[in-house]
Amino acid sequence: MGRRSWVGAGLGAALVGAVGVGLLVAPAGAAAAPPLPPVSPEDLVSSVMTARPGAFAGEVDVDNALGLPAVPGVPQLANGTSTIRVWSGGEGRGRVAIPSGDSERTLVSDGTTRWSYDSRDRTATRAPAGGGRGGPPGDAGAQDPTAAATQAVATLRQSSTVTVDGTAEVAGRAAYQLVLTPLPTERTLLREVRVAVDAETRQPLELTVLAQGSGEPALQVGFSQITYGPQDPALFTFTPPPGTTVRGAPGPDGQHRDGQRPGGDGQRPTRVGDGWDTVLIGRAPQPQQGQQRPDGAPDLSTLGTPVSGPWGAGRVITTAVATVIVTDDGRIAAGAVPQQVLTEALAR
Amino acid sequence: MTAATSAPQPVTAAPGDAVAARVRGLRKTFGATVAIDDVDLDVPAGAVLGMLGPNGSGKTTLIRMLLGLTRPTAGTVELLGHTGWDLAAALPDVGALVEGPGFHPFLTGRDNLLRCAAAEPRLVGDARGPVDAALERVGLADAARRRYRGYSLGMKQRLGLAAALLVPRRLVVLDEPTNGLDPAGTRDVRRVVAELRDAGATVLLSSHLLAEVEAVCSHVAVLQTGTLLVAGELAALLDADAGGLVVSTPDVDDAIAALRAAGAPAHRAEGGVAVPPGPLEAPQIVAALVGAGVAVWEVHRRRAHLEELFARLTEEDA
Amino acid sequence: MTTVEQARTTAPFGRLAAAEVRWVLRRPRTLVLFALLALVPVAIGVGIALTGGPGGGDRDGPGLVAAVAGNGLVLPIAALSLALALLLPLTVATAAADALAGEAAHSTLRGLLLAPVGRTRLVAMKGVGVLTVAVVAVLAVAVVGVVTGWIVVGGPSGTMITLSGTTLGLGEALGRVALVAGWTIVQLLAVAAVALAVSAFTEHPLVVLAAVLGGLIVFGVLAAIPSLEWLQPLLLTSGWGAGTDALRDPLPLDGLASSTLRALVYLVLGAAVTVWRMRRRDG
Repeated sequence: MGRRSWVGAGLGAALVGAVGVGLLVAPAGAAAAPPLPPVSPEDLVSSVMTARPGAFAGEVDVDNALGLPAVPGVPQLANGTSTIRVWSGGEGRGRVAIPSGDSERTLVSDGTTRWSYDSRDRTATRAPAGGGRGGPPGDAGAQDPTAAATQAVATLRQSSTVTVDGTAEVAGRAAYQLVLTPLPTERTLLREVRVAVDAETRQPLELTVLAQGSGEPALQVGFSQITYGPQDPALFTFTPPPGTTVRGAPGPDGQHRDGQRPGGDGQRPTRVGDGWDTVLIGRAPQPQQGQQRPDGAPDLSTLGTPVSGPWGAGRVITTAVATVIVTDDGRIAAGAVPQQVLTEALAR
Repeated sequence: MTAATSAPQPVTAAPGDAVAARVRGLRKTFGATVAIDDVDLDVPAGAVLGMLGPNGSGKTTLIRMLLGLTRPTAGTVELLGHTGWDLAAALPDVGALVEGPGFHPFLTGRDNLLRCAAAEPRLVGDARGPVDAALERVGLADAARRRYRGYSLGMKQRLGLAAALLVPRRLVVLDEPTNGLDPAGTRDVRRVVAELRDAGATVLLSSHLLAEVEAVCSHVAVLQTGTLLVAGELAALLDADAGGLVVSTPDVDDAIAALRAAGAPAHRAEGGVAVPPGPLEAPQIVAALVGAGVAVWEVHRRRAHLEELFARLTEEDA
Repeated sequence: MTTVEQARTTAPFGRLAAAEVRWVLRRPRTLVLFALLALVPVAIGVGIALTGGPGGGDRDGPGLVAAVAGNGLVLPIAALSLALALLLPLTVATAAADALAGEAAHSTLRGLLLAPVGRTRLVAMKGVGVLTVAVVAVLAVAVVGVVTGWIVVGGPSGTMITLSGTTLGLGEALGRVALVAGWTIVQLLAVAAVALAVSAFTEHPLVVLAAVLGGLIVFGVLAAIPSLEWLQPLLLTSGWGAGTDALRDPLPLDGLASSTLRALVYLVLGAAVTVWRMRRRDG
């Protein structure tokens, strides 16, 4: 073995190292915008609303800069990035895996029953699948782009400018970029909501929320990888494993059980206004429910800064895209609006 | 009687002569320190070459370069006909004990040797026979199954010697082999070296014990501060150095005057007058003394010892 | 009978490797570390058995340890992921420290170089030794973990409950354990390669241990600094949580694959530096 070949070996090793480091560090890389036939916003929106969610498997990256307070047990809500695995079997069947560190929350819907399993305390919660709507079950709707974008389109189209702003590549799929911009009359913290729609399946692939005064998205939820096609039916069934505590969902529609929607407990919240500056007013969770899931329901009394006005007194929690006021008498007002809009709604 | 012993006489074998090891223009520097400075040396095949030099004279560095353990700053090394990148190809035929024995304390002497044996290219098949034979040869058979941890300095040295002798060698390099050995151990080393010589192997032995070298070596090389002062056959060097006469006389001053007048450099010495090798041969010196009427009790040739040679060489240079 | 073969200039590699493995497995401190590693699953298992099943007082413990309760086959995976934090890297770093720096300190490296074992073959031989230590160490944890999980913790008759709430049969459960064991070995080899590279530069084994443990701590600190998030893909330790993925169902391979790739990069770089240095090192 000559000296030269060793020099070669050394260079080779250095090359392997450089390539390896490159592979490790390189971001997914912004692909060039794929050429697609033009489509009108109306056609795109309607095709999204009529598209039937088919079977697919994918991974969803959540890049969260909402500035929400950290809630124990739901790390996805705090600022940062996380990855969620999603399987859909169509017809309301779905599975969502939310991994976090050494544990995992699993949500399974077989079309008639929803299961939620938490590996940390090994509890499984069962609820009837409400509404029979497509897409993955439960509160995953907020994180699954199919449900999230469909919802956003439907709610916002009257009060928004809707345009198709070119194309993009998301999770290796060619996609249209649907952009919803609030009309100038809307008093909102949001600047723009972008939804990337798969050009072929018309399924929303990515949701980007941009707030006023910031170039970086406040929230980006999107597939980093998606494969369409039939999935193993076993994915959409759930049998509580031995040693699991099984309980029924505590609230109607299983809405409260993850503690992510304060104000949804007991009675439906009141809507004040419409469009982008809609304010929801509800009541704080009742104490007896809160005791049951001490780490699930955030203790709102310690969050935010105190405020008061003609409407009363309370605490205000401000994030990049939304403001929440919890009044001392137990009311909660929330909206993607500045604080003033909330106080006006409360004073009404 | 020839003179001029101060000029080094490198034993540069004529081309075609068998040489076990050869270095040319060898130089090694560690930073600003010159450890070995332009050394040319041949180790003739079949010779027992003793390398002499004070501590720090570069003996070990020279041996390490010879074995490929250290890279020379400049110069070439040839070992059993192999050189450069191919040097390691000579090592299977070279047994070496360099810078003291190195073994693992948690293994027995025998297990240490078995581990060495596994790495010996020349050893094929069951290593236990050669290992036990080597242990026997260095007198360690009784302690073979004790942990190296408990060995005395002498036993460790013997085990190192055994490792160098695991397989028949063409060249054996022993760096201070008698270090830490008792007289019996020293005798054993002397016996082993003689056996190796009789078997036709070349031995390169470094030592600061001059008597040791004088007793076993056929050749010597003397190093000082990285420079080779002299190298050659031991007998020839001693003979050359032995030139000169000692004259026993009561008339010391007259004798010196007479000899200087005759052109011989004489000086006062213990027991009379010493006449170093010079232009005059012994009969002329005696004639000059008798002609000057100096009473001469005895004239004898001075018998040199390695110790004197070494002392003269190293002091001269310093 | 012994014969002398003239053609060979180095001993057969198989013989060198076998001698190295024998040497490595007889070293007292390595054996002590193996014993300590085997104690990890035993300690977890006994702890779980004493504190009771799920819903007991173990919710504050490490997440994976909590998942072991009543679910014995998770024990080897939990024990491996716990040991990967410190004890396993310490074990392979010790082996790597002894492999080159330790041999140099005992002057035995010189003997190997003079035998001669070629310098590159020496690195390969040492690699085999360290690989052996990594494999035996991981197997000690995994096998003792399976046995302890089976006997002490027990569980639903030879099945494993995943973090996703599904139940795996014995075969697949053992397959998951084997997957984590193999993945852990690769991660350890990355540590070992870097440790060997350090080992090639020094003759003080403690320097190697300090470098490896210090490196792990520094990596941990770097990973905890939010503004250095871009460094994460470069840090070997940032992929070490992926072992937990084996407890998810369906099995996500992304984390395991990317951390394995990262480990291989460390492995190649460490090996290259080691070979480069050993080609030049004075014996």
